[in-house]
Amino acid sequence: MFILNPQSGIPIYRQILEQVRRMVASGQLPPGTALPSVRDLAVRHTINPMTISRAYSILETEGLLERNRGRPMTVANQAKNHSQLPKRLQQIGPLIEQTVVAAKQLQLSEAELVKAVRQAWENNDD
Amino acid sequence: MTSTVAAARLGKAFGAKQVLRDISFEVSPGDVIGVLGKNGAGKTTLLEVMLGFTPPTSGGIQVFGHESLNLPGDIKSRVGFVPQQDELLDQLTVRDQLRVIASFYPHWDSALIDRLCTEWGVDLDARIKGMSVGERQKLSILLAFGHQPALLILDEPVASLDPIARRQFLEQLLAISTDGQRAIVFSSHIVSDIERLANRIWILKEGRLDWQGDLDSLKESIVRLHIRGSGAELPQLSIPGVINIRRDGAFATAVVRDWAPEAQEALEKSASVQIEVESLGLEEIFVELHR
Repeated sequence: MFILNPQSGIPIYRQILEQVRRMVASGQLPPGTALPSVRDLAVRHTINPMTISRAYSILETEGLLERNRGRPMTVANQAKNHSQLPKRLQQIGPLIEQTVVAAKQLQLSEAELVKAVRQAWENNDD
Repeated sequence: MTSTVAAARLGKAFGAKQVLRDISFEVSPGDVIGVLGKNGAGKTTLLEVMLGFTPPTSGGIQVFGHESLNLPGDIKSRVGFVPQQDELLDQLTVRDQLRVIASFYPHWDSALIDRLCTEWGVDLDARIKGMSVGERQKLSILLAFGHQPALLILDEPVASLDPIARRQFLEQLLAISTDGQRAIVFSSHIVSDIERLANRIWILKEGRLDWQGDLDSLKESIVRLHIRGSGAELPQLSIPGVINIRRDGAFATAVVRDWAPEAQEALEKSASVQIEVESLGLEEIFVELHR
């Protein structure tokens, strides 16, 4: 479910936060989906469970996940957050900024970048 | 609740040589502490003082509430240690060595040790004298696990192990640490192992604790800033928390600590620069702290 890199400069709990937020916002993790337990994830990825626990707690506070006594944590009902679009746009913001910076460094024009993005979108449609 | 280990302004000198300076820390149950430091920074000395093998020359250190030098027998049996140089008895077989150590501890978990010997491929009938460095190291680790210590201290425990053996060791260490009742303190040069296992990091530099805190906080605190000015030369910059800075015409790279994301905008405006923030892995952080 998650791609975790312990050597990254981004702490593991933050990697989990970003991935869960993105997957919930995009509908990849629909409400009711059970998440792997802290222990299962820790064992599967060979990482300290405390950082996973921290991520899950934050996500619970954010209302993305809910605890079910004796059973795995599940994705909470997101129906209250009707307007998903601003959230989804916010998720992709950093990636877009990185792309813009790289394009400018390569001295590409805005039009050239937009054209390349369109091309990638079309190629991805299959 | 008593801390597992508590040190207050610990100092250790060997003759005129001051090896540890003004070290204070607490180890709590559930902690997995990774200790990093250059060779000669004082890691082994620190661990030996924790174990009561040698007295501090200043300050104090307590283990389970008792002075480290005077640990009663029942407290000692709650501590496990894997030394850098193994203390195995060459003439014995693995089976006999295990038996000798097990005899000291009423709570020896033979089922666990048997299982690990099988999983880790440790030959019970092998004579220690003929074993490779890696095999000896695996046995040393087993000897420290068997009595289920509440405080486990390991000094470079995997230096001689191949990646598979290291991974098996990590998995086992994680398995025993997850009950939240044990504390583990281990020093290692294998930073990637520390990044998996530890929740707290101690960085020892010239005998002092240069960093002491959560691994997550460390990665959020120390970042590398890539700074680009608008002119041909960057103006003088006043960057809070700077550890080192390299300038190259209109560009500069600065490694800073105690970074707050809010500081970026303020810095960009005040110096008319553009900043890209690069987060750093643990090895990179360690190297930068020593530049």
